[in-house]
This record gives sequence, C-alpha cells and structure tokens, in this order.
Amino acid sequence: MKALFAMGLRGEKAVALALFALLALVPAIIDGYPIYILPQYLLFGVLAMSLGLLWGWASIVSFGQAAFFAIGAYGMGLAMQAGLGGWGGYAGIICGAVAGGLLAAIAGYFLFSAGVKSTYFVLITLALSIIVEQLAVSQSEITGGYNGLFVDRMALALGPLGEVPLTGDLASYYAVLVVVPLLYFGLLALTRSSFGKVLVGIRENEDRMTALGYNVSFYKTIAFSLSGALAGFAGSLYATHAGFVSPSLAGVNFSTEVVVWVAIGGRLSLLGALMGGVVVSALSNYLSSISPQYWQLVLGFIFIFVIMFSRDGLAGAFASVANRFWRRRAVNGSTPEARGEASNG
Amino acid sequence: MQIAISVGIDAALITFSLALAAFGLAIIYGLVGVINLGHGAMLTLGAYLSWYAVESGAPFFAAVLFAAVGVGLIGVVFEHLVIRHFYHRPFDTLLLTWGFFLISTEVIKIVFGTSFRNVPSPFPSAIHTSFYDFPAYKTFVACVTIVLLLATAFVLLKTSIGIKIRALIQNREMAGLLGLNIAATYKMVFGFGCAMAGLAGALLAPMLSIDPYIGNVFLIRSFFVVIVGGIGQILGGTLLGSFFIGGSETILALVSSQVVAQVAVFFIAILILRFRPQGLLGEK
Amino acid sequence: MAELLRTEGLTKRFRGLTANSNIDFQIDVGAVRCVIGPNGAGKTTFLSMLSGHQAPTTGRISYDGRDITGLSVVERARIGIGRKFQTPTVFDNLTVYENIELSILRIVPDNTARGRKLDAVLDAVRLNDQRSMLARELSHGQRQWLEIGLLLGNESRLLLLDEPTAGMTNEETTATGRLVRRLAEEHGLTIIIIEHDIHFIRDLRSPVTVLHLGKILMEGSFDEVASNPTVRSVYLGTDA
Repeated sequence: MKALFAMGLRGEKAVALALFALLALVPAIIDGYPIYILPQYLLFGVLAMSLGLLWGWASIVSFGQAAFFAIGAYGMGLAMQAGLGGWGGYAGIICGAVAGGLLAAIAGYFLFSAGVKSTYFVLITLALSIIVEQLAVSQSEITGGYNGLFVDRMALALGPLGEVPLTGDLASYYAVLVVVPLLYFGLLALTRSSFGKVLVGIRENEDRMTALGYNVSFYKTIAFSLSGALAGFAGSLYATHAGFVSPSLAGVNFSTEVVVWVAIGGRLSLLGALMGGVVVSALSNYLSSISPQYWQLVLGFIFIFVIMFSRDGLAGAFASVANRFWRRRAVNGSTPEARGEASNG
Repeated sequence: MQIAISVGIDAALITFSLALAAFGLAIIYGLVGVINLGHGAMLTLGAYLSWYAVESGAPFFAAVLFAAVGVGLIGVVFEHLVIRHFYHRPFDTLLLTWGFFLISTEVIKIVFGTSFRNVPSPFPSAIHTSFYDFPAYKTFVACVTIVLLLATAFVLLKTSIGIKIRALIQNREMAGLLGLNIAATYKMVFGFGCAMAGLAGALLAPMLSIDPYIGNVFLIRSFFVVIVGGIGQILGGTLLGSFFIGGSETILALVSSQVVAQVAVFFIAILILRFRPQGLLGEK
Repeated sequence: MAELLRTEGLTKRFRGLTANSNIDFQIDVGAVRCVIGPNGAGKTTFLSMLSGHQAPTTGRISYDGRDITGLSVVERARIGIGRKFQTPTVFDNLTVYENIELSILRIVPDNTARGRKLDAVLDAVRLNDQRSMLARELSHGQRQWLEIGLLLGNESRLLLLDEPTAGMTNEETTATGRLVRRLAEEHGLTIIIIEHDIHFIRDLRSPVTVLHLGKILMEGSFDEVASNPTVRSVYLGTDA
C-alpha cells in the first residue's frame, strides 16, 4: 500500500485542480455564511498540509502545529495594530511566517541534531503548544490574555495603485482561494523535487541515507522549519479573516485536532491532508453546534479507528480503489509494461 | 537561613508530589515501552473518581482506593482492546493512547461537567515545628510516595514476580522460554501503571481544583521527569527527574513568575535532551 | 600503486571486551582485499570503524593521505567511503530506479546527467530489467547488488562490503565475483570484502587478511592462507 504512493500519488494534481475549480464556482451558487466560513476551513487545510508534509514525507509527527499557527495569528494581530496602514497585513504575514519558521528551526536544530526519537519529538512539540498557550494567557498586556485580540481584515496594498480592501467576504474568499492552491501546488512541487525525494529516503531508511552522505538532521530541520513557517503563515491569514485571536488557538485541543485531520485525510497525500483539514473542521464546526461533546467523543473514536485500521486515511482508501481500477485497465490494455507491473504487484 | 529551609522543604514536597504524578508513566514506559499519552487523562479520571466517591459519602481513603482500582481496570480494558495489538509499533501506541486521552476527556466532560470540583483535604491543618510549619496533607502525600517507590523497588528487585518482569523486559524470547506469560505480564504492568496514575490523581485532588484538563500540565511535567531522569530508571530516575523539574520550577517561580519558570524548565529539558538524550541516569 | 587507506594500532574495546586490537592495515587504490576469520573475530567491528559507525578506542585511520579518525559517517560517505551492510540496507518500499536515484541525487543535481548515470549504474549491477520493481520484491542476491549499486551511484571510491554473497545462488555468487573484479579493474575502485564463502574468495584471487580474536593473524594470497597450519587450526577449532 505504502509503495503505491511512496514518491507521491499519481493523478492527485488533476483531482486537486477539479476541486479548486469547484470551489471557485461556489459563490455563484450560494452566498452568505458558507462564503464567510469556507476560507477559514481552507486555512485549517493549509495548517493540516504543514503537518502532512512532515508526517508523510519525513515521518515526523508534530503536536505543536497549533503553536506555530497561533504565533502567526498573534503576529498578524500585533502587526495590524502597529499603525502601518495598508501594509500592516503584509507585515503580519511576514511576521507570522518568519516567527513560526524561526521557532521551528531553533527547536528542530536542537532536537534533530541530538538524534531525538520521534516519540520524544511529539512530547516536546506538545509541550511547546501548552507553553505558547500559557504565554498567550499570561502576557495579557500584549496578547489580551483570555479575552484575546481583535484583528481587522487586511487590505491588499498595491503601492501607487492604492489598495484593495478585503473586508467583503467575497473578496477575501477569492483572495484565500488564490493563496491556498498556490501553496498546494508549491508544496506538491517541493515534495516531488530533490528535496522531497531526500525526505522520502529519510522516511524509508534513515541509516541508509546517512551512509550515503546525507546530513539527515539538516534535512529534518529544514522540513520542520518550512512546516512551522507554513503554519505561521496560515495562522496570520486566519487571524485577519476570522477577526479574532485567542489563546485556545495554541492549545492542546487544537493541536490535537490538526493531527486528527491529517490522520483521517491521509498522511501520505498533501491533498488528503488539505481535504482532511477542510472537511473535518467543517464537520466539527457543524456538528459541535448541534452536540459539542458527543462530536468530540466521536472524533476520538475515529482517530483510534484510523490509527488502528487505516494508516493511510481516506486518501489511502481512494488511492487503492483508483489503483485497482487502473490496474484492471492496464491488464485489459495488454501493454507489456502494464502486464509486468500487474504481475509484480 | 529560615527562608532557605522553607524553600528546601517546599522543593522536597513538590518533588515527591511530582514523582507521584510521574510514577505510573515511568512504570509503563520503562517496563513495556509504551509512551502513555493518556497518562494525564488517567490522572484526571482518578481525581474525578475520588471526588465522586467522596461526594457519595465514602471516606477519603476508600475513595482513593476506588479511584486507583477504577482507573487500573479501565487501563486493562483499553490495553486488551487496543494497545496489546501494537506493542511492536511503539509510535502507534503513542497515538492510540492520545486517542484514549481524547475520548476520556470528553467522557469526563459529559459525565461530570466542566465546572471546578473540590475534594476536601483529610488533613487540612499544618504540623507546627520550631522552624517550619509542615502542610500536613502535602507531607502525607510525600510519605505515601516514598512508601510506594520503596515498595515497588522491593517487588521489582527482590520478589520472583519482579525478577520475572525484569527478565521479560531484557529478553522477550528468553522470558517466553522460561514459561512466562508475556501477554498477561504486559497487561498486568500496563494496568498497574494506569492504577498508579489514578491513585496519583486521587491523592493530588485535594491540592487542586479539579477540571477536565488538570491532567494536561501533569502529563507534560511527568514526561519531562521521565526524560530528564532517564528511561527505565523507574525509581532513581523518577526521583531525580522530579527533583530537577519540580525543584527548578519552584526556585525559578520564586524569582520570576510561574509561567516564566515553566518556559525556562521547558528549555532546560530540551537542553538536557540535546546533550544527554538518555537522561541524567540513563545508560547509552 | 598509491595507498588509499591505512590504519595504525586500531583498537576497539567494549566494556572490557576487546573486539579489535592493534590492527595495522593498508590497501592501495584499485586493490581488492578479503577479510576472513571465524565468527567473533571482529570483522564487522573493523568495517564499522572504517565506515565511521563506531569510533575506535585508540589508533588512527588515514584515507587518501589525510587523517579521518574523527570524521562522521556522513563525512566519510562524502569523501567516497561506501558501506554495504551485512543485512542489505536498501529502500524496501521504493523502486530499484528510485533507490539508485537517491544515491546519485546528492552528487549530480542535473536531471539529464543523472539519468545517464542511473542507466550506467543499473547496467553495472545488472538490474536494468528490474528498474520499476520495488526493492522488497527482489531476490536476496538482487538486493545485494542493489546495495552495491547505491555505493556506485554515490561515487564511493572505497567499497566496504559486508558479506555481499549472503543468500545468493551459485550463479549469482559467480556474477558477483565478476562484478567485483570489473569494478576494481575497470573503474579503479578499492574494495574490502568480508566473506565466509571460501569458493568466492578463492575465485577472486585477491590477497586475504585473516582476523582472529580481534587481531590480524596473517596476510597473504589465498593459497598461502589456505595452506597455513595456524589458520587451518583456527578454523577447524571453532567452525570446523
């Protein structure tokens, strides 16, 4: 199963394109609340991809993605208050991504160069999110403590051309719908680049990569920094879109949710992670308005179920169905290559 | 001088309560190799069970026993349904115990609600001596911890069941040849570790306001204790780690704030991991 | 011929047990050497010290005229020391092609140049027809070749091969012997082999170093070693 998409899932790009095209058409059909809320789910999807990249390609599980997300969100909140006018939004994005990336780089450097076990890494990152949450609560002069921080919608400053405000839900819907596909295809290209291949090599056999002269801890640190920067970036956009930041964004519960999204969506596919983030957070929002506690409970059971029985999540299930379909066609097509591949499988 | 003594005693009391909180975790990790991320939730569960028993009119010590046995049994059931199939995939056991945390936290919220609960302390007064007023209940908890650690040391080192358990950890195949029931031993150890978490939660409950999340902070601290002390060093490592984490947190909190102290301890733990990944007492 | 590797007084002790004691060893560029010895003679420990997986207790290793005793596994791999482990260590879930690609990636960033080199390596280890098979679907022998292919892709100049013919059929063993000779003669690679297969060692016709209880017992041609009474008694006494 794993080998199927060891180096990436075939056909994922086409499915992704179709999904993004559908999303672009959504405002033509419906308006109101979905148009307001969908961008936030998409940004959760980006957060999920930041973990998917780590989990799927480097076999690193971080329980601290929410910490980076929250740091990005607070960065945006503070930058918007700094009196930079139309440029505040950009400053917030840069702050968020850089702060997230830098913190991940420092933590990653210390942990990976010591060869810390993946289990310890989980604990340290879990602790990180608890600490960021506590800092957000306690440093109330800066963060607003429990009350949180209100954040304005950013504007797209275009220099001499003036600026485009994103206060309207439709405008910010399309702004996010430009950013998310760009990030997705960028990450997809990254995973298929030399860097991505090296990460796969590390995931598959760390000892072999070391003996081939690859500095494994360096690559892991870079991957983790990228992931932290991406989470920070998503957090900064989330803050300006949702209009509010609070300490619970960094908390254990939110950190856990990110892991659950990716586990359910599928850790070996970026699209799986993205969709896991979007669909599960949307479901979570919808169902928790009906029955908050029972939904969390169900989520816990789903999580255990996925880890026990379906290590590759929904993306894995789709891939195996699609693969069966392809194989049948290949055998009927009777090319020598296809026959060879089918008999090897 | 007076201040030094009282800080020292404070640090000692905190060390023992932390060692108590971390004990179940150290047992399970050190003996069966599972990082139990449900440990915090088990502490919380223990606290709620004892609260429930006390509310229903049970005497405090019966409530503590009820909590330990209750959490132990829940642990055994969880082990039987889920964990025992995954001992060969340690990373997945970590994720699965996290699933336990998710479920158990929600069940607690549904059953007990989210408002704060308090268990009255059985020894609310202080023991007066010429140089220091010992908080009676904290002192009692410290004594219980010492007895618990010594008893466990005795069982592991001196009794035949303890020797069998240690043989099992060192060499599974050999233990199988010796006729040890591996599955049953793992289950017993896992259940014991969970019971100890429940016991710790119940004993710590009178010092805290109980809410469904109190376990979270203890989870992370307990892990720092185990990591800093050294894996498999169930007794010495737990004590030294607790002293290190609890002591430095107390002293740092004295000169700055509680949060700053926690942040500092977090970085100290990372530094120790960086330069001594096997922990202070662990062997390479 | 120029010297490639030399060890002086190489010693490794594990808690009182001396695995390697005072090993002085030397090999020239393009040479092939077999290291033999009964089980527990310290062969793999010796190889691990050369590859950097274990640090010697005392002694030094020089490679290409420089002291490399303190270099890590990664650093040694980067100056051309490649190791094939006793149990084949390849990327089981990746295809043969992807395996070799990972070994070349660090060295040849350009895609077309990498493709050409990939083909050359696949030809050299005779896995061209298996390029789209997963490494775990290969036979034992083919996995060994794949791991040697990784070293070739990685442009190793010194190959440390720990039991390369383990699990091979007779034909595969013969082919491996030919491969080793070709790599040394045509590509100028230097090769140190740990082996148990006496026929393989004989057919290789290269000098042999015999280790016993962590020390070098003797060095010489296969015939000299095979007719030496001490060596015979060591083998008969332990393995028979």
